Amino acid sequence: MIRIEKEAWTVIVGHARGAYPDECCGAMLGVPGLVSIAVPLENAYHGSQKDRYEIRPEDLLAVDRQARSEGRELIGIYHSHPDCDAYFSATDLKNSCPWYSFVVVSIREGRFANAKSFRPNADQTVAEPEDLAYPDLEESACQRS
Amino acid sequence: MPKILIPTPLRQYAGNQSEVEVSGATVGELLDALSRQHAELRRHLYSDQGKLRSFVNVYVNDEDIRHLEKEATPVGAQDTISIVPSIAGGATAPAETASLSKEEILRYSRHLIIPEIGMEGQLKLKQAKVLLIGAGGLGSPLGLYLAAAGVGRIGLVDFDVVDFTNLQRQVIHSTADVGRKKLDSAIESMTAINPHVTLDRFDTALTSENALEILKDYDMVVDGTDNFPTRYLVNDACVLTGKPNVYGSIFRFEGQATVFAYQGGPCYRCLYPEPPPPGLVPSCAEGGVLGILPGLIGLVQATEAVKLITGIGEPLVGRLLLYDALAMRFRELKLRRDPECPVCGDHPTVRQLIDYHQFCGVPRGGQAPAGVKEGEMDVTELKAKIDRGDRFTLVDVRETHEFQICRIPGSVLIPLGELARRTGELDPAAEIVVHCKMGGRSAKAVEFLKKSGFGNVSNLAGGILAWSDKVDPRVPKY
Repeated sequence: MIRIEKEAWTVIVGHARGAYPDECCGAMLGVPGLVSIAVPLENAYHGSQKDRYEIRPEDLLAVDRQARSEGRELIGIYHSHPDCDAYFSATDLKNSCPWYSFVVVSIREGRFANAKSFRPNADQTVAEPEDLAYPDLEESACQRS
Repeated sequence: MPKILIPTPLRQYAGNQSEVEVSGATVGELLDALSRQHAELRRHLYSDQGKLRSFVNVYVNDEDIRHLEKEATPVGAQDTISIVPSIAGGATAPAETASLSKEEILRYSRHLIIPEIGMEGQLKLKQAKVLLIGAGGLGSPLGLYLAAAGVGRIGLVDFDVVDFTNLQRQVIHSTADVGRKKLDSAIESMTAINPHVTLDRFDTALTSENALEILKDYDMVVDGTDNFPTRYLVNDACVLTGKPNVYGSIFRFEGQATVFAYQGGPCYRCLYPEPPPPGLVPSCAEGGVLGILPGLIGLVQATEAVKLITGIGEPLVGRLLLYDALAMRFRELKLRRDPECPVCGDHPTVRQLIDYHQFCGVPRGGQAPAGVKEGEMDVTELKAKIDRGDRFTLVDVRETHEFQICRIPGSVLIPLGELARRTGELDPAAEIVVHCKMGGRSAKAVEFLKKSGFGNVSNLAGGILAWSDKVDPRVPKY
């Protein structure tokens, strides 16, 4: 179960809409089970970012250090799927890591559609869906999946 | 002692500590000591084979150990070790391309049972997007085999129409296709072989204006062009967009192939910085080509394309493969990226596409422009001269074997290469009309004769092909 607070959720959805039609990505900080801050990161994928994203390890390292210095923890990664379902794709799984929650945000025609969270296994063969709660912004009802 | 920062989710396996101090001289020793202290951590960091998991990056302070000495990287007492996952992903394509149907599994079964290709390689082929420039000699085997192999998306660029002279080698087209668009005919053949392939149709010449837009959605370009302006255009567009260029070319009995602009390898301009002077290297239409040759070179290109897509084998990068059909020999030349290359060098001067017709010194459209220019004679005028019984000499500067195919009555054969030493056979005072197949070689002959003191020389516009078209259709075209 992971819950995202309104401030962080506003940043995530805003980032995903702003990057549309490209994918966006970022880090989620807080305490286990609760995201209070979202940090947008640069999509470092070389090539079309319409259906790919990549996070530079250096960027993640910097976020992790900052979080530690402020007494917070890196607990998850978010990225968007423009005009595509909020599912954990084969590409997502192959490039994932089992330590974090992976929140996938579906953006359709520039608007938020829905979001889901996943926990991949260590061998990157399966990702288990995990309960996700996020607040109602202007156009979505609070959902769990 | 150096300390290791533990990622939040792993702290539960490290006694809930956010940092652990361990002793050791290298990164490998430290991680080993850490996972001995906390056995549960080990399986999160290492695979069953005892290797660091693929997503695990280790940093010593701010440096990735992959850029240092990997796990042998020395560590000092003040150093901080961070464990950072590499994370990427993406929506990729819809579910249908991420798997093979039962019918596809049967279709590709001979690929699937090769360990190097297997399901993974076949899915890579299915997700690959290849742009094929030209549906001619090289494009025929390329189109047929890439479609059969299961390349998921193939873009075809061609504006030409199937001609009888194509059929001797362009096996993607059949006799019934003569007069049809090559695109229509090629797409029909490819779809017949493999209906699972998505084919994009670009009914146009590749130009500096449209090249980047057309290339944008493809992973690589396979060059099946037959002229220098397009070859330089394809090269530069590939370098500028960072897409590999699978190159091949053919002439008479010889061909060459290589992969340009791939992962820091050389490009076409590293090999040929400047185009040859116009007219020096004859095209297949002028010089001829063994019909089988493009089959072989095109399939070398297709092989390289499939290797690049699946990531198997050793790509033909930095090596120019030369093939001589008569000797039946392959040779290899080493190619290196030229640091001074104007496109892919260290200080490139070509940063956008240029006018390649101007660069290669050939008029737009390739062949001699339509219409009769100064110093040229139209075929109907030649016919009138013959009918009137005018006194003049008609010189055919083609090769003997071309003369044997067809000739204009009353012509004298002096192949262009023999002209310099046979000018004595011509009367400087007489009127001379020179012709060849299409007007290119005869234009050179006219220029030479004028310089040699022949005052009344003209070039037959369009050559014997125009004669066949406008005057005497019984004269075969070739």
